Amino acid sequence: MQGSLIDTLARQGITRRAFMKYCATLASMMALPPAAGRAMAEAMAAAPAATRRPSVIWLPFQECTGCTESITRSHSPTLEGLIFDAISLDYQETLMAAAGHQAEEALHAAMKANEGKYLLIVDGSIPLGLDGAYSCIAGKSNLETLKEVAKGAAAIVAMGSCAAYGGIPKANPNPTGAVSVSDIIKDKPIINIPGCPPIPVVMTGVLAHFLTFGSLPEMDAKGRPKAFYGETIHDRCYRRPFYDQGKFAKTFDDEGARNGWCLFELGCKGPVTYNACATVKWNGGTSWPVESGHGCLGCSEPDFWDAGGFYKALSMPADPLKIASAAAVAGAAAGVAISFANRGKKSAAKSAHETTTLADLEK
Amino acid sequence: MPLDAIPIVVINAAAKQSGDEAGLSGNAPVLLREIAELARRLLASGESSAIDLRALPLTPADLDWLRETLGQGQVAATLEAEGESTLSETVCPGVWWVTHRNETGAVVSEFIEVTYFPELLKAHPDDVQTGLEHLDLLISDLS
Repeated sequence: MQGSLIDTLARQGITRRAFMKYCATLASMMALPPAAGRAMAEAMAAAPAATRRPSVIWLPFQECTGCTESITRSHSPTLEGLIFDAISLDYQETLMAAAGHQAEEALHAAMKANEGKYLLIVDGSIPLGLDGAYSCIAGKSNLETLKEVAKGAAAIVAMGSCAAYGGIPKANPNPTGAVSVSDIIKDKPIINIPGCPPIPVVMTGVLAHFLTFGSLPEMDAKGRPKAFYGETIHDRCYRRPFYDQGKFAKTFDDEGARNGWCLFELGCKGPVTYNACATVKWNGGTSWPVESGHGCLGCSEPDFWDAGGFYKALSMPADPLKIASAAAVAGAAAGVAISFANRGKKSAAKSAHETTTLADLEK
Repeated sequence: MPLDAIPIVVINAAAKQSGDEAGLSGNAPVLLREIAELARRLLASGESSAIDLRALPLTPADLDWLRETLGQGQVAATLEAEGESTLSETVCPGVWWVTHRNETGAVVSEFIEVTYFPELLKAHPDDVQTGLEHLDLLISDLS
C-alpha cells in the first residue's frame, strides 16, 4: 500500500465524500458520537503510508465457516471490502488458492517474514479432548497450531462465539472438550468478536482501528470491543418503547406480535445480550431478528446455547436443569408423565390446527 | 427488494389512517428541545453538532412525525457516493436532515445536523488541488 488510505481508495474510485459518509455510518454503527465519524475519517485518511500491507493470518478450528461467510458475503463490493484490501491475508484456508503443502508453506513464510507484527484471526474453538485429536490440520492438532502461530502474533482476534467463548462445540456435554482462544493463550492481546456469526462491520471496525492506531480498540470485561458491544440489544431496540409501556407479544401470531410489541415474554435475550444488531442490522442493513419478529437468541454471549431455552422469558429460571436438580429424583416419574401429557397435547393441537403457544415450543 | 415492497400492513400505517397514535413512542417530541438547544449552541459558539437518529429508540412512526414536524426548507442537496445521500434543510434554517443510503437504497445512517453548512458538502482543499490539476490539463489541451 503506497500513500495514505485515502489515496489507495481514490485509486479504486472511492471519493473523499464517499469515505466520509462511510466513516459517519461506521461511527454511528460503533455507537460513537456523530463527531467521531469526522475524527475517524481524518485519522484514517491521513493514516501513515505503510511500506507493506499488514499481514493477517486466519486460522480455522472447530467451526462451521459461518464467520467467513458473514465477512466475505457482506454486500460486496463495498468500502469494507476495500479496507480488507488494505491488509495482506496470507493464510485463509477457505479463501486461498493454495492447498496442502503449498498452503502450509505460505503460513510459515508469512509467520517468518512478519514475526511479531502479524494479526492472527482465529475462528472456531479448540478441542482438548483425546489430546486434540478431534480437529487436526496438516497432521497437527489445533492446539499445537494455535500455540505455534500465536507466538509471533502482534495481537489475536477471536472471531465468532466459538473462538471467543467455545460456542456451540462447547455446548453441553462438550464432547470434544472445546475451549476458547483465551483459555489457551495468556500472553498476547486478544480481542473477542463474538456472535454466531459476528456482524461484518464489527470486524471491519476492529480492523480499521488496528490500521489507524496500530492497536486494538477498548474492550469490555468479556474482551469485546466496547464500541460495538457497549450496550445491550434491548437498550438500542426499536421495540424498547413497548417494553417500557408493558406491551408484550404473548405468542408469535397474536395481536401484540402483529403490532410489533416487545418480544420479552417470547424469550428474547436482548436485555442480557451485548451486540450491535439493533443499530447495524443484517444483510446490508435490511433487517435483524427482532425486526423480523423473533427474539434475540443471545448468540454473542458465552454459553448462549445452554442458557435454558430460546423461548423462555428471562424472568423464568435461567437454568432449570440446575435449579431442578435437587427435586429431580423425586420428580422424575412425575416429569416423565408430564412430558408424555405435553406431547399428547401438542399433537392434539397440531391435528386441530390450533394456535401454537409458547408452551408448545418449550417441549 | 425494499422492505416496504412486502405487502404487509404494518401498524404504523394502520394507526395513522385511523388517527390512532399507536406507532408513536413519545420519544420524538423531546428531540425538538434538544435540537433547539443545539441551535442555541450554534449561535453562541458557532459549534456544529449532530444527533444520530439510529442511536435512539425511535419507531418508524416517530421518525415520520419528526420529519413532518421539522418540514422541508429551501435547500436540498443530493450526494451520489456509494449510494445516494440526501442533505436537506428543514424549515428551521441551520437544522439539516441527513440520510445516507447504500447502493441498494437502504438507509444506513440518519442524522439531524445543526450547522450553518454540512461538512460533507464542502470541498476538501486536497480535492480542490486535484480539480485544479485537471483544469490545467483541460486548458493545456486547448492550445
